[in-house]
Amino acid sequence: MKITAIRHVRGFDIARPISIGVVLGIMLPLVFLPLLSIFIYGTSKGLGTFWSSLIAPEAIFALKLSMVTSFWATMFNVVFGLLAAYVLSRYDFWGRNAVIVTISLPTAIPTAVAGFALLLLWGPYGTLGRLLNQQQVMFTPYAIILANIFVTFPLAFGVIKPVFDTMSRSLEEASATIGATRWQTFWHVTLPSLRGAIVSGALLTFARAVGEFGSTILVSGNLALRTQTAPLYIFAKFNEGQIEAANAIAIVLALLSFMIFSVLFFARDWLEFETQEA
Amino acid sequence: MTPKMQLAPDDPHVSWAPERTQKTGVAASVRSISKRFKKTPVLDDVSFDVAEGESLVLLGASGSGKTTILRIIAGLEQPDTGSVTLHGKDVTDLPARERGVGVIFQSYALFPRMTVEKNIAFGLKIRHRRRKERRETVDRLIKLVQLEKHRKKYPWQLSGGQQQRVAIARTLAYKPQVLLFDEPFGALDAQTRVHLRREIRALLKQVKVPSIFITHDQEEALELGDRIAVLNDGHLEQIGTPDEVYNHPATEYVATFLGAANLLLGVVTRGNVEIGTARLPAEKETRRFRDGQSVKLVFRPEDVCLSPDAKLPETCRRLANGVIEEVSFVGSYERLNVRLDLAHRPPTGELAAPLYQVTINTPERMIGVPIMATRPKPEAHTTRYKPGDRVAVGLTSFSLLPNYTLAKHR
Repeated sequence: MKITAIRHVRGFDIARPISIGVVLGIMLPLVFLPLLSIFIYGTSKGLGTFWSSLIAPEAIFALKLSMVTSFWATMFNVVFGLLAAYVLSRYDFWGRNAVIVTISLPTAIPTAVAGFALLLLWGPYGTLGRLLNQQQVMFTPYAIILANIFVTFPLAFGVIKPVFDTMSRSLEEASATIGATRWQTFWHVTLPSLRGAIVSGALLTFARAVGEFGSTILVSGNLALRTQTAPLYIFAKFNEGQIEAANAIAIVLALLSFMIFSVLFFARDWLEFETQEA
Repeated sequence: MTPKMQLAPDDPHVSWAPERTQKTGVAASVRSISKRFKKTPVLDDVSFDVAEGESLVLLGASGSGKTTILRIIAGLEQPDTGSVTLHGKDVTDLPARERGVGVIFQSYALFPRMTVEKNIAFGLKIRHRRRKERRETVDRLIKLVQLEKHRKKYPWQLSGGQQQRVAIARTLAYKPQVLLFDEPFGALDAQTRVHLRREIRALLKQVKVPSIFITHDQEEALELGDRIAVLNDGHLEQIGTPDEVYNHPATEYVATFLGAANLLLGVVTRGNVEIGTARLPAEKETRRFRDGQSVKLVFRPEDVCLSPDAKLPETCRRLANGVIEEVSFVGSYERLNVRLDLAHRPPTGELAAPLYQVTINTPERMIGVPIMATRPKPEAHTTRYKPGDRVAVGLTSFSLLPNYTLAKHR
């Protein structure tokens, strides 16, 4: 994209360096320095310490658990988001707008409230949890998945739905007149056009789920080597005063989010092309 | 520019129309179709047939319901009443995918994630045809539509005309019952449009698939259609060959929608049409009217002949005298606005004073009736007119329509 600005003054425009400086000056202490300090502090006692904190069984377990639970939450929310986006952009029914608002609601709910709500419903004395008897869901990895699903619910849907809305109906109509069934049309025509939206929706959901703390700490019970995810591990180790252990995992999580973000950012042209063509 | 489309001489498949056991002669038939959207009637009792190998143009302004008819034939819309028959089979209740019609959408609707080849092969792929058969058909079609160099490209890499050819090939691949073109040239510039419609006309003659076009462009309709159906406000005004609808319009709407037309009110009297004081001999044309009936006289600007000395050509029937009001050159022809004198009774012995004094069109009194005439360039060059010239006005051809001013039409 070519950047252009209107010339407001003759000659040197003092507003330019000042405004750029203000933006960078605000970002430095608020964003850059905290991120930088993770890396500086984490490696300050040498890479050996960093490495040994990283391969501690509890740390490995926490990372694995975070990945696995986030993966399943992402799978569920992408598939559900796809279905919901299809239904809500193709069918008109009574209460359609109410459903759209409800799907988007978890964005605005504090995560601690979400975790608390799940406990009230599924907890050992909860409305539904009471019926489960011995097979309790809360304080198990399933509870973490449940919390992740709740919190990241609207993300994939929010990315996929606009693509559905703007997609030309004539593509699907053309496919139908050519003789394709509804499923063939979806598989060969609709889905390929959604590829970009699905990828970015999944990445957003995953990134958000990996970092989820507020709801997870309430529903998981924070049991080391059983239900302790990476963010909970950081919190727990910090509380125990094991700053190096917390820091090692913090670096891994930060790097992971950088990676996801750069895929989203640098693949933007590709993703935008996808939506345009749709 | 793209060369003329031609099948290779050794190509055994000349026809892309489906093989049929019984030849009914009628490819598609629409019977008493009516349709309402919410409370608004869109189509009102529309019926027509398309013959085998014929191309029919549905011509109408936007909102005339032409797109709805097309969508009903394709199965993308359900009619409220009436039926659609394709090659003798009632398909009114069949979904779009079971009808086997080919729709060429205005936007072409090519699948953006598929190459030209894959787009064309799509119809065969979902029919689970063998790979070898798919490849052969795609090869033949790509050759037919002259896209050999572009077979691996994606739709966005093609020009509008190329995309359209892919869209046509994509439908031909499954041997459609009928081809439906929705405003096929709407998205193209004027030059490409003219070029492409000749190409498509040639292609259709070759593949022998009956087709229905939708357009609001009368020039396009006249060129593409073996027959033209003129739609107005959801009902069929007239259906006929381009010559019939253009030269013998059945209604005032058809006359004015298909090109420019002059309209005068007259009364039938003993084989003549009287328009004011003018008397136009029309033995043949008045036969279907009774004496004293009020009629509309419709004639095209190019059917007007003018003469500065009252000597009109043999083929011209004298209408009245007039005064040239305005002369303008419109590219390939000359347009004249003429005021007809329909108020003065000619003095007796017309030949003695063929261009009697008429006092129409003075700055004070504009009593002449305005008509429009056009002349081809050679004629405009031999006899020049300037505003104020008196001329004799005749007509080479015209049609008469009943004038229902009081009785409600239809």
